[in-house]
Amino acid sequence: MKTWSSSRWKRPAAGTLVASMLTLGGCVTVPLANDARDVHTTLGARWMPGGPVVGLTSEALRGEDADAAVRALLAQPLTADTAVRIALLNNRDLRAAMHELGVATGNLVQMSLPPNPEVELEMRKPTRGGQPLQGDIGLEYDLSELILLPQRRGVAQAERTAARALTAGEVLHLAYRTRLGFYEVQARHQQLELRNRALQVAQAGYGTAVELEKAGNVRALEVATERSAVESARLAVAEAENALLDSREALNVLLGLFGPRTQWTVDSPLADPVNDLDSGEGLEARAIEASLDLAELRGRMEAADRRHGLARTEGFLPHLSGGFHGEKDEDRWEMGAHLTVGLPLFDRKQGVRMAALSSRESLKARYEATATAIRASLRQARGRVESTGRRARHVRDVLLPARRQVLDETVLQYNAMQVGVFEVLRAQAAVTDAASTYVETLLDHHRARSALEQLLAGRHQGLELGSIRVSSMSASSGAAAAADAH
Amino acid sequence: MDRRQFIQLGALAGGTLVASHALAQGQSHAVPSAPVSARARTPSIVAPGGQVAVTTPNGSTLPWRKVGGVKVGHLVAMPVKHTFAPGLEVEAWGYNGSTPGPTIEAVEGDRLRIYVTNRLPEPTTVHWHGLIIPNGMDGVSGLNQRPIAPGETFAYEFTLNQPGTYMYHPHYDEMTQMALGMMGMFIVHPKRPRGPRVVRDFALMTHEWKVLPGMRRPDPNAMSDFNVLTFNSKAFPATEPLVIGRGERVRIRLGNLSAMDHHPIHLHGLSFEMTGTDGGFVPESARYPETSILVPVGSTRVIEFVADEPGDWAMHCHMTHHVMNQMGHAAPVTLGADARAIDRRVQALVPGYMTMGQDGMGGMEEMGMPMPANSIPMKGGKGPFGPIDMGGMFTLLKVRENPDTEDGSGWYVHPKGTVADKADPVRMDADGINPDVRFG
Repeated sequence: MKTWSSSRWKRPAAGTLVASMLTLGGCVTVPLANDARDVHTTLGARWMPGGPVVGLTSEALRGEDADAAVRALLAQPLTADTAVRIALLNNRDLRAAMHELGVATGNLVQMSLPPNPEVELEMRKPTRGGQPLQGDIGLEYDLSELILLPQRRGVAQAERTAARALTAGEVLHLAYRTRLGFYEVQARHQQLELRNRALQVAQAGYGTAVELEKAGNVRALEVATERSAVESARLAVAEAENALLDSREALNVLLGLFGPRTQWTVDSPLADPVNDLDSGEGLEARAIEASLDLAELRGRMEAADRRHGLARTEGFLPHLSGGFHGEKDEDRWEMGAHLTVGLPLFDRKQGVRMAALSSRESLKARYEATATAIRASLRQARGRVESTGRRARHVRDVLLPARRQVLDETVLQYNAMQVGVFEVLRAQAAVTDAASTYVETLLDHHRARSALEQLLAGRHQGLELGSIRVSSMSASSGAAAAADAH
Repeated sequence: MDRRQFIQLGALAGGTLVASHALAQGQSHAVPSAPVSARARTPSIVAPGGQVAVTTPNGSTLPWRKVGGVKVGHLVAMPVKHTFAPGLEVEAWGYNGSTPGPTIEAVEGDRLRIYVTNRLPEPTTVHWHGLIIPNGMDGVSGLNQRPIAPGETFAYEFTLNQPGTYMYHPHYDEMTQMALGMMGMFIVHPKRPRGPRVVRDFALMTHEWKVLPGMRRPDPNAMSDFNVLTFNSKAFPATEPLVIGRGERVRIRLGNLSAMDHHPIHLHGLSFEMTGTDGGFVPESARYPETSILVPVGSTRVIEFVADEPGDWAMHCHMTHHVMNQMGHAAPVTLGADARAIDRRVQALVPGYMTMGQDGMGGMEEMGMPMPANSIPMKGGKGPFGPIDMGGMFTLLKVRENPDTEDGSGWYVHPKGTVADKADPVRMDADGINPDVRFG
């Protein structure tokens, strides 16, 4: 398991701190630009393959440039990559996450500021006699706060480091969810086409039965049976339409789209299974190394450590403040200084230290648990990628050709008058069913692959591996037994 | 037996040696698959009184070797590759490389010793159907003998005491072995000829098989829906025609070892009388004219006739499904349906589809649609006026003025004005025929 050190997480925040310090005494703005660049830097090499971080800049996160970019991307049929770009440009939850990082940045800036000195002016005039107006002036400065400032800043810095890792994880999570959403839309498009084809098959069967019934060649039973198949197929089409609509709306939410902009199109089917899977060696270590979930925990652990250190210092450091004092007595000034020292007799921050230690131990345990879960998820995802890839290839290269061969042979048997038109149509329907199985298996494959890439990119939270999909396909070949003859 | 008869019997044995040689060369070519490959010849005399040798169309006759006054023959039960008709080859079982096995032909009083070698994967026996012989030679496994194990050779020996038309077949796992083609005709000529002398004597074994298009093994489990019906294990157009001379007296011996079906065999162009069964000769007083003869399962029927009308005459089983090759009947009837309406829908999904039978099923062979491998569905044969829609248990009786010059492949040339053709409207009008007449 990876060890962690506090020094590693100081540098990225330095620029932000300096920039913020420069605003001392000036106006205050949200630190979005710096935060965005910082997150971008954090993602760096972790970024998902094939998807550069576009639009994750302050400029893109603001206003019109982003709108223009989104419009341009929506003008073409969506791909998984363009969908991710749109989401990064346009998703408001991501913007909210970026601003939440600003809260941590603000805290860090605040914790980096030295305490202000206090000036005390006192004027007094006797109520009797002719004594002139007398004035006192004093300057007080909290020395203990100044001494503690580096430690307080260290705590805030660690907390911001954790927040930055969390925000970078949110970026990954959005990209991941967007990819899943896009794949889902592709699959639902294809399934709708296949259900429509199945409906065509059923309608052909029903139409044939009607024609045969007109000639007195089949019973009402056959007609009713074929009609029943049509109505079932129609229902399946309606369900597929609904599923497609649901998937589009889910993606719209991720893309941050509403109104006319939701009329985007997708014209590519799910890609075939990918063969270039890594060998698997060292993947777990890579996932642990890249993990932003663990980075966040490390940041929080460091913050807890620093809180503990701060509390310990506070507990043993007497309250120190000092100042200068001047008193104008008639026409002369009397100058002096003082030092105030608190006595840490009772409150030595024992409770705060205890809480900080417990928090740290709790985070350490969560860190270990998360690392274990990441390793397990990595193995699971990799296994799922391989399994779904094999199954998808089996469906594409074996089952589908087998079903097509059944259809071809059924046509031959039909030509030989061994089977009827309904058997031919059933064989065709079996081809469509196999294609449907391919789409679902392919979707599982792309989900698993996205999960694997997400883990290797550094995000474990919100991973959707789900349960194994068990094929509901029947063993039906679609071909009726060859007809008996004479 | 006089010297002349001996020479004639020797000629028979010599002729059958050809079949024996073919057996030695390989099992798949023992029986010619072409309908006709040689000129019809007047059969040799093989029995006293000028009795002619039996001709087994598409088949052969078992050769004898005379050893110490005993006719010795050899049957080998074995798997065979068999062609029902061009395009349909099956893995069958038979004897001496063929199904049916060679016709056994002998004379009343002959002492026979027939060796039976089993080259099947399971035991077998041979039953001599209809013959009355010593009980231990009757061939019923378990009852009369122990079965002949694979690789074993048994000897059957008996004297032929009654003339007639018989058959042979296994009596071990009958369902499988007979369904796969193990059977043959067994002819015993009488010492003293009975009735008028015949010029030609044919033996035809009827049989039925279940071979779905695309299969190569006849289904021994079939109890119904047989789809290949054969004469001597050949389906038309591979059945060898029976070429006879006008005015000749002809005998046809019909056997039936089908699993389930009797066959009403109908001859065109003549009438005949049944002269015998596997139980013996039919007394002349019991005979009556017929054009169809029902050949029950497990029986033989012998008919005799004189054909006076030349021509190519159909001879077939009159069960209409028995003269079709491998057609199924599970498909819905499309007769009278609007094929275009159906095609429009189905062809959009299955491009190779075409509705058939909406105008009837005649001439389907001409459609040229792709068929399953190893199948002959809807295939009949070609005739002088176009396709002959019948197949299966169908053959031709070719009555000719000079049968010995015919090889059976040519068609009868009709005298002018003797072929039905399109009616002359003027003649119809003169005869008061209105083709547009309506009824009902």
